[in-house]
Amino acid sequence: MSSPIATWSAEGQERAQQLLALYPDKRSAVMPLLYVASLEHGHVTNEGMQQVAELIGVTATQVRSVATFYTMYKHEPVGRYLVSVCTSISCHLLGGDEVLDAACGAAGVEVGGTSEDDLVTVERVECIGACGGAPAVQVNYELIEGVTDIKAIDLIDWLRNTTPEVVLADELQQLFGGQKSFDWGVPEPDGAIAPVPAFGPYGSAEEGR
Amino acid sequence: MSDTTTVSITINGVDHEVEAGQRLITAAEKVGEYIPRFCHHDKLEPVGKCRMCLVEVEGPRGKQLVPSCTMIVNDGMVVDTESEVVEKAQEGVLEFLLINHPLDCPICDKGGECPLQDQTMAYGPGESRFIEPKRTYEKPIPISDVVLLDRERCVLCDRCVRVADDIAGDPLITFNDRGNHVQILTFPNEPFSSYFSGNTVQVCPVGALTSVDYRFRARPWDLEVTPTVAAHDTVQSTAEIHTSRGKIVRVYAAENDHLNDGWLSDRDRFSFAANHAPDRIVSPKRRVDGSFEDVSWPEALNTIAERLGGIAPERVGAIGGAHNTNEEAYALGKFLREVVGTNNIDAQLGDGFNAQLAAAVTPRATVDDVESAGAILVWGPDLKETLPVLYLKVRKAVKNGATLVVASPWRTGLDSIATSVVRYRAGSGQEVLRKLAQGSAHEDAAAALTTGPVVTLFGRASLSEDPRLAESVAAYGRTLPDARLMPLLTRSNVFGALDMGLAPDLLPGRVGIEAGSAGLDAMGMLGAAAEGALDVLFLVGSDPVRDCPDPALAAKALDQADFVVAIDAFVTDSSAHADVILPAALWGEVDGTMTNLEGRVQTVSAAFPPRGQAQSLLEIVRDLAAIMGSGDILPKDTDTASSSLANEAPAYAGVSRESIFFESDGTGVVVPTGAGTQPLGYIPTDAAVPVVTDRFTLHFAPSLYDDGVITRHAESIAGLVPDVTVRISPRDASVLAVSDGASVVIDDFLTLPVTIDADVAQGSVVVPFNQVATKGLIAASAVSVEPVRGDV
Ligand code: SF4
Ligand code: FES
Ligand code: FES
Repeated sequence: MSSPIATWSAEGQERAQQLLALYPDKRSAVMPLLYVASLEHGHVTNEGMQQVAELIGVTATQVRSVATFYTMYKHEPVGRYLVSVCTSISCHLLGGDEVLDAACGAAGVEVGGTSEDDLVTVERVECIGACGGAPAVQVNYELIEGVTDIKAIDLIDWLRNTTPEVVLADELQQLFGGQKSFDWGVPEPDGAIAPVPAFGPYGSAEEGR
Repeated sequence: MSDTTTVSITINGVDHEVEAGQRLITAAEKVGEYIPRFCHHDKLEPVGKCRMCLVEVEGPRGKQLVPSCTMIVNDGMVVDTESEVVEKAQEGVLEFLLINHPLDCPICDKGGECPLQDQTMAYGPGESRFIEPKRTYEKPIPISDVVLLDRERCVLCDRCVRVADDIAGDPLITFNDRGNHVQILTFPNEPFSSYFSGNTVQVCPVGALTSVDYRFRARPWDLEVTPTVAAHDTVQSTAEIHTSRGKIVRVYAAENDHLNDGWLSDRDRFSFAANHAPDRIVSPKRRVDGSFEDVSWPEALNTIAERLGGIAPERVGAIGGAHNTNEEAYALGKFLREVVGTNNIDAQLGDGFNAQLAAAVTPRATVDDVESAGAILVWGPDLKETLPVLYLKVRKAVKNGATLVVASPWRTGLDSIATSVVRYRAGSGQEVLRKLAQGSAHEDAAAALTTGPVVTLFGRASLSEDPRLAESVAAYGRTLPDARLMPLLTRSNVFGALDMGLAPDLLPGRVGIEAGSAGLDAMGMLGAAAEGALDVLFLVGSDPVRDCPDPALAAKALDQADFVVAIDAFVTDSSAHADVILPAALWGEVDGTMTNLEGRVQTVSAAFPPRGQAQSLLEIVRDLAAIMGSGDILPKDTDTASSSLANEAPAYAGVSRESIFFESDGTGVVVPTGAGTQPLGYIPTDAAVPVVTDRFTLHFAPSLYDDGVITRHAESIAGLVPDVTVRISPRDASVLAVSDGASVVIDDFLTLPVTIDADVAQGSVVVPFNQVATKGLIAASAVSVEPVRGDV
């Protein structure tokens, strides 16, 4: 019997096994595993969902039910850097829409589009929980608060020119952020290496601390 | 007066005593207060999704709207189901549900029997304030070969999802996307291939799920409903035939809480096309110079009567009768025993086991016993493939807390929910049983069988298994705490046929015949005919060339027998050998009763007359007897047969069509099995079956959609017949040096591709039974397997 994820990278397979071991009930691992699968395939693919299904003993349609419910699972390819601009109420009041326009302009895309060099995707998102530091932007789910339209253009240019391996919230904040809502006090050493959230990375927050 | 099992509640100002622990929606319905609903279904877990059932309940902070389908009744509960607030809520819910509903009722199959339509009429606002465009989808999309989906009609009630997941255990359809985009879907390229998919069509409260067979065929108000049973297997689920202008357009499940809980398998539901098939035999035929020629009934019957005249009775035999009603079987038995004078009768085809054990085993389990069992042992055919609705019952029992042990040479549908699975090499069952009984192995299984009542479901795992093993299993089952036994034969009304005496060693009403006077069984008759020791053979709706363990012997027997009479609806591999074919009425065309695997007798009814000149078996043997001068021996019609068997067949004392109708509330009557009620109380004894030591043993696995004549005629499920491969264990594959997909030769003549399967015991090979590609394979325990040279 060959493993359903035999085609994954060694790190991906290892990560999957760690995640499976975290939960007493295997199917609970569906969400972090979907991140690992997206990382392996570039985005959530039918094959990836089937692999996750087999890994946790449910049907592919049940996995798809989860994967289509949450907007953070991308079913189409996205750029190497996913720039998410919040335009919910606080950000909207403080210029989120201008930030979005500026980011789109700099990347040369419509909202939701990916730049021609496949580096940057700009999307509009609902509240990302940083209302106190509005307008807020995320790059590969790493948060920057107090972004302006000018800074947004700088951000896109910087991403395309330096193509960082890892994006780190603290670094981004320093370079492109403004007023922070409040210092959470918890260091976040894990940067994101791909457009999936870097919980420890790609799994539960319990890991990697 | 409240005791612990009831509570008093007030609904719309009227006080009621209701059973404690139930849902408010159910309690209200029982006292005559119907609360509208979409997602609520008696047989499904509550989900509270649609909000149609909102009612006002008084609480500490005043009246509040609550969903009555999730609310459990409480003592002193004060409920209002008709207040202005409730009405407003109902209107609101309906207005929301209709935002995206296409209102295409005039072209929707559900129109006329649609809860959404009915409840909108009864509780809806009358007008909508929405002018926005509705969502639209490609329609319909086939989610399986038998079910179509029109997503825009869906009200997201979750019923189909719960049927697929909780009831059938096949969670292949579910909600996708979010918010306004939520839709029911299957995974791309993974169809809803469940043996129970048709149930979703029946429970869908709108026309979102429809069946391929029924789509655009009829309108509900034009349908005639005939209550009957689904006669494909021995569960005999209570069902309804829906006809329009004399044709079956669909089969629906009926509610019978003692049996099928309102579910049907897709085979029960979708294989009704045989009745109207163009190749059906509709007039009597006689063989003239090697080909069939239509003849009149008198000519056909006279030919038979002449041939029977003066013949020694022991040179006549009959195989079949398992597809007929009890009354027909009773008449057939009477014809053979009293008119012809032979005990050579067998409703089984060498594919079952000891008839006395099957018909009269005690203590016998009912389906209700299975549902409330403490532990269940299944040692027989794969229930999912052979008796799918019983499979659902076992699932339900496990959900209720029963432990489950499954013993089988190959994986079965129940393995995934079993407490313990005993996998054994086909042919070594007796040894496994001995160890299990002694406690020298399989401790897990033994430990899971300690909480009574323990119900043992026993039968033949496959045609290649020694039939005596079933008796050994029953004997073991009898030693378990508070034991109940359920024999598993699978064919249609075979239990009714045995109860009517269609066995060489049984008389009607579970009366045994002593060994010395018993007749030949099916294999005995075929063997005798092949050797020229039997002259006249009746095939009564049976196809031994396909269904008996030795197809070559059956074919030879039919060639050698002097005179073969087939009473059948189709020319089959067997009836093609006949000298005379008499067109037989099928299920749906005959009135009578049938008996299922627990001994439950239910009525079946004709939805329309037999096709063409076809006749019921009872009429056929009655007329034949009359020509032979013994017309008065046989019952003249179903009612006479029914009352005479209620008088003559001891175990059926008092069980007639009439008594069932008046006493059973549509659920049937179980023939009592207690002491003194049936003459033969069969106590199984260990049969000490020798273990087969050959290099390879065969497990000839049954599947639901085999190449049987009924399945072949049902277009919608004919495509579901499985692929045919030989399954072998990984160890044997490496010893034989064959890889997955390579070919092997079975028994020196049958070349099939190999699938390596870890669920096959070492030394066994699994081959699917009764498929075109496995035709001719003898169902013996031992089998030879050779790799194809140059292929390894
Ligand atoms: S398809 Fe029918 S049964 Fe399934 S959720 Fe929609 S309305 Fe309910
Ligand atoms: S509104 Fe933008 S982060 Fe909350
Ligand atoms: S019937 Fe109660 S919420 Fe649907």
